[in-house]
Amino acid sequence: MLDAFLFIGLPYIALIVAVIGCLRRARLSKFTMSARSSQFLEDRQLLWGSAPWHIGIIVVLLGHLLAFLLPNVWSGILTVPLAMFGIEALGIACSLLALAGLGTLIYRRLTSARLQAVTTPSDLLVVALLFMQISLGILSAIYFRYGSAWSTGTLVPYLWSLLLLQPDMAYVAGFPMLFKLHLIGAWLFILLLPFTRLMHILAVPFTYLWRAPQLVVWNTIRRRQHAVVATVRAESRREFIKGAAGVTGATGLLALGVSTKAVNFFKGASHDPEAESAMLEKKLQRLQLTAEERGYELERQRHALILVSPYAELDPLKGKYFIDYAMAPGLAFKGKDGMPIVMSAKCTHLGCTVSNTVDSNGRVMCPCHISYFDILTGIPNEGAPAKAPLAQIAWALVDAAGKVVASRTPGQAVTASLSPEVLAQCSLYITKPAKAGA
Amino acid sequence: MNLKETLHNTEKFLAERMPVEKMNYASMVQKKEVPVHGLAWGYYMGGLAMFFFMVQIATGLMLLFYYQPTVSDAHASVEFITDQIPAGALVRNVHAWASSLMIGSVLIHLLTAFAMKAFEKPRELTWVTGVLLLGITFGFGFTGYLLPWHQIAVNATKIGLQTIEEIGGYLPGQMAEWPRLAKEIIQGEASVGQATLSRFFSLHVIILPLAIFGVLGFHLVSVQLHGMSKGIDAKPRRLEKFFPTFLLKDLRVWGIAFMVLFILGACLPFESLFAYPLFEPFDPKGSTPDGIKPEWYFFWVYYPLELLPLWVILVGSTLLAGVLLATPWIFKNTNRQSLRLIAIAAGIYLIIMTLFGENIYHLFKG
Repeated sequence: MLDAFLFIGLPYIALIVAVIGCLRRARLSKFTMSARSSQFLEDRQLLWGSAPWHIGIIVVLLGHLLAFLLPNVWSGILTVPLAMFGIEALGIACSLLALAGLGTLIYRRLTSARLQAVTTPSDLLVVALLFMQISLGILSAIYFRYGSAWSTGTLVPYLWSLLLLQPDMAYVAGFPMLFKLHLIGAWLFILLLPFTRLMHILAVPFTYLWRAPQLVVWNTIRRRQHAVVATVRAESRREFIKGAAGVTGATGLLALGVSTKAVNFFKGASHDPEAESAMLEKKLQRLQLTAEERGYELERQRHALILVSPYAELDPLKGKYFIDYAMAPGLAFKGKDGMPIVMSAKCTHLGCTVSNTVDSNGRVMCPCHISYFDILTGIPNEGAPAKAPLAQIAWALVDAAGKVVASRTPGQAVTASLSPEVLAQCSLYITKPAKAGA
Repeated sequence: MNLKETLHNTEKFLAERMPVEKMNYASMVQKKEVPVHGLAWGYYMGGLAMFFFMVQIATGLMLLFYYQPTVSDAHASVEFITDQIPAGALVRNVHAWASSLMIGSVLIHLLTAFAMKAFEKPRELTWVTGVLLLGITFGFGFTGYLLPWHQIAVNATKIGLQTIEEIGGYLPGQMAEWPRLAKEIIQGEASVGQATLSRFFSLHVIILPLAIFGVLGFHLVSVQLHGMSKGIDAKPRRLEKFFPTFLLKDLRVWGIAFMVLFILGACLPFESLFAYPLFEPFDPKGSTPDGIKPEWYFFWVYYPLELLPLWVILVGSTLLAGVLLATPWIFKNTNRQSLRLIAIAAGIYLIIMTLFGENIYHLFKG
């Protein structure tokens, strides 16, 4: 019966009273919504009390609020053990900080004569209750560890059941006394909200962040000048802090972005066996190509005859590429008379490789600067960028027995003519040009 | 003129251009002021070029981690960087974009410095080193183009090197052989191959950087020593402190440049600007594919080269190089208005040749 009152009746009474009371106070006496400042009367101890108290309690309250509003997100975060330890440690540290600050504030409130003059009974009630509430909270956190985790399955459903007007106190009935007291304390605070200085938590001074600096005007000339100087300094400091914050933030983001990219870049590719083997295969192929080319080079230095292709594979319209003795590309066709046409494919203009497809005029084209070369003579068309003809290359036809049956050196006639049956058995070779001057 | 007098004059000339007594914090940083006027945006271009150069160093060093300068592996390693390394595509793309942006800002820097008559005494050597830097920058572009070892890279380099050999035809007697020798020294073997790749690689990552550090050091120190040039004939609106006001503005421009570069690098692959698939690995046995051309920043000389006989281009570019190097003395007495008109004309030529060079080429060659 008592439980039903404390965990269902009291919450609703507190919430209704708080909502109506706060609205009433906000409308009727707007300017009482703050906690009356006593900085004017005493400011040294205030700093050491107020700052830690507010920092601590804001962090702790935000933690409570987050767990209540987004229980799934919250418990999601807490599944990471390190995050849970971190949050518990932060919570306890902040509540100890708040308790220390509150202690300082109570001591100050009770020992300063000037403060005594402006202290109301409600102030004392609030600080005493707060002290108890924080202590209960810390004790709960210590005796019933990891409340941040277990509360999402017990306390949060209870609070939501209240909010959704289907009160269910089954979740809290089995709570330990210590924790029940902490919970009752919380409802009491909500009840007290409209009647005490506590209401200032609803007046968060967001506008402070961008309001213009306030000028405190004193009534003596000297003070006034001081005030102007102080304002100018404050304002320039404000601008500086804003600028520095912007620059630091931007630089930080930039450094973060760049460094994540850079670190991953230096870490290298992720281990993917498939991609690795594909890469390895590709590299091997290219290595083989390179080795092949080196082989060609050696072959051309050592041998007097280099195989171009079997005669049967030669075509009158589609040239066969090969590499000549100068390691430059060459082209071989089958001529109308059945004898091969063998010439350099290195354009005499700027050294591109000419195409191997013969057009209707019996010419091949260099794609770089559009020169057409006659395949019979190698001579370029009129007005082409290339002036010199493509060089003819010495060749030899070798039969299956390895005997040279026909050959030609540039500028001279073919040395033999053969029947098509013999030709079909032959292979086309290029022959080593005689050394100049030799 | 006797030797003593010559030495004395040389010393005087150098002392005026390199005032070592000014080499201190007070005159190089504290006292330096930047004029504010309509052309003042030109003062940012040099710094911008340097920013892109710094990006090139950073991204270049990163690429050096994975790039392998061999004929068999170069293309595969570039592909590996692009496809497998986290952010590899980004780094490579930023390197490509920043190279173009660097050359772009260097060219604008040249034109604005010319228009502002920033080569006036005692800044002659600043200008001359600037022209050398331009040459080195083009060298970076030419050597870097080959490194991925794909079709367009190798074939364009072949054509570029062959053009050097062509020069021999215009030289008399023994000299006719020199361009061919020069080409062979650069190329290293009968055709563009492993030796060429190794040489271009060492040029791109060691020799040119060493050269640019030396010249750039002199350039920057003399800029700080002589301060900003006046830039206009009239009196500037006001003067602004170099430190910190102008420096902060400069940094802001760098910040914007970085954003633009990063967005370009992340969103637009540099290669997507080419309309043809030339990025296959180079095939020594195949025919040269269509559409081989150099990077856009060579268009201003490439398309005229395609259209006109080589000797015209040779004479033209020799003249241009001579005029650029001797600008401080040739245009000593020219007023800024005429200089500005020349700069605008040159700028228009560069823009038209770069954007419409291909259309102009087809207009004449069909």
